Amino acid sequence: MSRQTSFARIIEKWQKERGPLRIMSASGQLGYGIIEKAFRAGLERDLHLIGADMGSVDPGPYYLGSGKLATARRSTKRDLKMVLTGALSMKVPLVIGTAGTAGGDVHLEQTLDIIREIAREEGLSFRLATIRSEMPRDLVKRQAKAGRITPIGPMADLTDSEIDGAACIVGQAGTEAFVRAIDTLPDVIVAGRACDTGIYTCLPEKLGFPMGPALQMAKIIECASLACEGGGRDAMLGTLEGESFVLESMNPARKATPMSVAAHGLYEQADPLSVAEPEGVLYLEDSKFEAVDERRCRVAGGRWVPTTAYSVKIEGATRVGARAIMVAGSADPVFIEKADEIAGLVEAQIRELVPPKPENPYTLYFRFYGLGVVGGQPVSTLPEEVGVIVECIGEDEEEARAVAATAKQYLLHAPFPGRISTAGNLGFPFTPPELTAGDAYRFSVYHIMQVDDLAPLFPVAVEEVG
Amino acid sequence: MRLRDAARVIRSKNAGPTQVTIDLMFDDPKLYARALAAASMKPAVIAQRYGVAQAEVIPYPAANAIKIVLPRRVIAGTPGDTDVYGAQQHRPMIDVEI
Repeated sequence: MSRQTSFARIIEKWQKERGPLRIMSASGQLGYGIIEKAFRAGLERDLHLIGADMGSVDPGPYYLGSGKLATARRSTKRDLKMVLTGALSMKVPLVIGTAGTAGGDVHLEQTLDIIREIAREEGLSFRLATIRSEMPRDLVKRQAKAGRITPIGPMADLTDSEIDGAACIVGQAGTEAFVRAIDTLPDVIVAGRACDTGIYTCLPEKLGFPMGPALQMAKIIECASLACEGGGRDAMLGTLEGESFVLESMNPARKATPMSVAAHGLYEQADPLSVAEPEGVLYLEDSKFEAVDERRCRVAGGRWVPTTAYSVKIEGATRVGARAIMVAGSADPVFIEKADEIAGLVEAQIRELVPPKPENPYTLYFRFYGLGVVGGQPVSTLPEEVGVIVECIGEDEEEARAVAATAKQYLLHAPFPGRISTAGNLGFPFTPPELTAGDAYRFSVYHIMQVDDLAPLFPVAVEEVG
Repeated sequence: MRLRDAARVIRSKNAGPTQVTIDLMFDDPKLYARALAAASMKPAVIAQRYGVAQAEVIPYPAANAIKIVLPRRVIAGTPGDTDVYGAQQHRPMIDVEI
């Protein structure tokens, strides 16, 4: 008895019927709550594929380094259950990219645990293909020595000690890896760190669609309805016609207009006219945007230039210590006026009371919200109140907490010339006002690595679930 | 005329952890052209405004938009950062005269 899997069914169906591919993006950030109404509406559209992106480099190095998910387990499970049961009920393939926020093995495993738990609870059975994205350290070292790793922006050249010191190093899998996963004819693909585009380009590539328009569509729909007027998180349908594609939000109130879609090309991109992928570059200078009606937009013009000089974007995070913070506010005009000066006095006091270890000194940051710390420019008039965060990165939690607690006490009682509020300089929203925040990380790897072959970097495994 | 009076959208966001990108979007193509031509929009002037070594200014006529790309002073999320997503770095642009 062999059941036909979703990918097997869809590939066979398309080869019989031909015509456009209907691909739905369920979410650009799975785990933060998928809007159910739009998702259900999309399920009725005779889909060929449902995709969802689950992560990004945007939330910072903590998740990659610590192995934790940014999304709450309960919300993540809710979203995964919705896309799994929805896709399986319609026998439509489901593809999930950058599992568990950062896409390392530990993030992928936690995501798969939730998926297996849902399968048990819901009595689901399906074939699951997984793609791993952690980079072997010896390979990264070899490529670094061979001069085949280039830093992005101000990152430093990679050394062996930096490579060994990273808590986790991942690479972004591209279309190639997803196509290998399709070749195992699964129902569901879950990838570790991956280009968000690969989720949506793999089926078009497998079926021989031109990559330029397919990739341009992928780049837009991976953010769900964000390319619509006023944005939106609702599921987005992309209908790939060949040399063009049509965008339509699955929320009838959202409009994809030529202007909103064109403008979306700017989003989170340093270069709005080209997109680098492991297997080539997409050029967008000839893009055409045309209204189909008031809420659907047809796009064409994406030009794909493939290469055999493969490159993979690699990301790594390294622990820098443990973090503790102190949270407070002040409404005292004299304190606000002299905040920076007082911070200097208190910092000197703290360093005397909790001496930093010479070989690994802690770092301390005073932030006065209201005085220009967020937007990077000084304020022209002093505010009535300021928020205060003192942050310490210490060797371990105990040291960071000791520093934060000392900061609390001495900033509260710091004397300064002209002081009128002699019982205390701060208001605390709760106690303890000093909180530990676990380990702190930095991005130590954000580089482009050239490789001869992509496949060995992103191994595919198959598992029968349920 | 200030940018905030000319543009519909003035926003910032990371483009990866090492860069921040600022998008200025205009409804009126004339205001887009005016902003693009303004002395205050020259890359060197913007770089100085943000206290960084260089800035890139990219016209994007398809959406009457201008993109600015800046290196981040602190790599996103490294201790000392104040805006991990880079979503609040538009402030120095909004009162720029064009």
